[in-house]
Amino acid sequence: MQQKKPKFFINDHIDILIEILKRLDGRSLCVAACVCRLWCTIARNDLLWEELCFRHMSSPPPSSVRPVVVALGGYKRLYMVCLRPVLSRLARVVWTRDEVQLSLSLFCVDYYERLGVDDRIGECDASTSSLMFLCKPVNV
Amino acid sequence: MVTYDPAASSGSSNGTSSSSANKPSADIDGLLAGAGYKVRSSELRQVAQRLERLENVMVNSPAEISLLASDTVHYNPSDLASWVDSLLSEFNQPVPVPTNLPDFPDLMAGPGPGPPPNQTVVNNYLADNIIPSQLPEQNIPAQQPQLMVVTAMEEDSGIRLVHMLLTCAESVQRGELALAGSLIEDMKGLLTHVNTGCGIGKVAGYFIDALSRRIVGVGGAVCGSAYENEFLYHHFYEACPYLKFAHFTANQAILEAFDGHDCVHVVDFNLMHGLQWPALIQALALRPGGPPLLRLTGIGPPSPDGRDSLREIGLRLAELARSVNIRFAFRGVAASRLEDVKPWMLQVSPKEALAVNSIMQLHKLLGSDPSRNSPIEMVLGWIRNLNPKIMTVVEQEANHNQPEFLDRFSKALYYYSTMFDSLEACSLQPEKAVAEIYIQREICNVVCCEGAARVERHEPLAKWRTRLQGAGFRPLHLGSNAFRQASMLLTLFSAEGYCVEENEGCLTLGWHSRPLIAASAWQALPDPIINHHASNSNNIM
Repeated sequence: MQQKKPKFFINDHIDILIEILKRLDGRSLCVAACVCRLWCTIARNDLLWEELCFRHMSSPPPSSVRPVVVALGGYKRLYMVCLRPVLSRLARVVWTRDEVQLSLSLFCVDYYERLGVDDRIGECDASTSSLMFLCKPVNV
Repeated sequence: MVTYDPAASSGSSNGTSSSSANKPSADIDGLLAGAGYKVRSSELRQVAQRLERLENVMVNSPAEISLLASDTVHYNPSDLASWVDSLLSEFNQPVPVPTNLPDFPDLMAGPGPGPPPNQTVVNNYLADNIIPSQLPEQNIPAQQPQLMVVTAMEEDSGIRLVHMLLTCAESVQRGELALAGSLIEDMKGLLTHVNTGCGIGKVAGYFIDALSRRIVGVGGAVCGSAYENEFLYHHFYEACPYLKFAHFTANQAILEAFDGHDCVHVVDFNLMHGLQWPALIQALALRPGGPPLLRLTGIGPPSPDGRDSLREIGLRLAELARSVNIRFAFRGVAASRLEDVKPWMLQVSPKEALAVNSIMQLHKLLGSDPSRNSPIEMVLGWIRNLNPKIMTVVEQEANHNQPEFLDRFSKALYYYSTMFDSLEACSLQPEKAVAEIYIQREICNVVCCEGAARVERHEPLAKWRTRLQGAGFRPLHLGSNAFRQASMLLTLFSAEGYCVEENEGCLTLGWHSRPLIAASAWQALPDPIINHHASNSNNIM
């Protein structure tokens, strides 16, 4: 006799999928992006990364932060290039405002340097980045 | 060469592996025992290391071996471990304490349990030979660092190099150039015995080079083009945290001073690539209450090839400001020397809050030319007349402006050894190599140049305090936010030798308790007599 239990396929329930992916850590989110095209699209949504960035803050950041971060490259880049190395170097799980502020400043310097890549600064050393001292970012 | 004490052992040492009763034979290495030596298996590695050291020492000081042959008495050479130790102590080599070294110790005595090698060598020498009152308070280490991979012979050569450098500098001061020249040749010979890739060998190499330039008379030739200087500066920025510390600390003070103002104006005495300003722009964009209108005036040398480099940097900063929605205006002022800048060029408006930012520029004004007014007093005078809300000053924490050459030289040797030590922790290439060239330029200027050509006239924080207070400024204390931010920034650098310290409201960044750079903030004292925007710029009281 065949079982008549309906199959549950997560990709049919995107809202649940989003809720689950919203709670992953950075590495898992990157791995999830490799599963299939749908997961990739969802996992690359910057809103998920914004969640991840500010998940551990005691109070949510002011609304003025988002347009600045988006203008400077987005939350995924902020996380990969700044927040993740800063958090791991400072050996912290929970953020303070100061750490967020410092990361945003470093992120801004990084953006500014990328602006100059076509200038003569880029001519001499295209890989110069003031964030290299943090770590070499891994782009999954 | 080896004599046996017949009383010590009952039989000849050429016996078989029959050991004395209190040593269990299972512990002794079987192969060496066959050759007549009793070495515990657990000690094999240490004995091998000590034998190597002994060989090094014997090869390099053949004169002392004859002493060994005739004057010393050795006991029980079959106990190889103690025999080697006793020989080493004959050569006055400290016996290394067996530590839990990994199998392949790193070749750098880097950020580890002990103080760094250059500081140790220079400390040891200076402590014994220079009047202690000239040295800042230091912990002179009483023992060698634990990760002792610099062999004792090299350490000795290091101390000899320092001694010779100071002797050479003294003869230069006395005008005995022939003697100085021959000392240079000797030192170059000594350099071949040390590792010039790191440590005291590297620093000594630069100082020997600078001294020989001075003797020959080509001191001024190291001045580079503006483009080169920016390139070097940028790599120095990447390789070590001093400039980042300067920028972030000054920005924090400026941010706090601008609180509540809607029109703000920053004057940067040395724009370079403008790396300081993105962080301030971002912080102003996110400040509670919304961003102000920001004007930035950047001072820099004129570009020779027709490009307007100041304007290019201004455009980049403007693009950044536009991305984060800040109203921004930039103005470039091209001047080859700071004293050529006149306050009207800055177009300061009375309605705006003004911040003056000087990162390692004020010391260049300290050259005293009797034919002109003192440039530093003139510049401080017009800054004061502009009545800035804040003036941020960052300077090297060093005393390189004394009139006596030997004094300057020894201070510089100590300072730059510490700085090179801190640079060892950097692993980024080519940033590190280029940063060294940047530092080398400074060294050359301090050592080779005199008069107007010598611009690197560093003075310590205490002197700047006196000078600025005398010019009508009062100190603004850098708050705990700045300290916290600086500490956080340092934690992000993987080297653990950096330290931030608070010094009466100013912040210093140093390496292993030696401050190397100091940041302070100032405000003009209100003066009831002088009108703030008087046209005469030489109001010196």
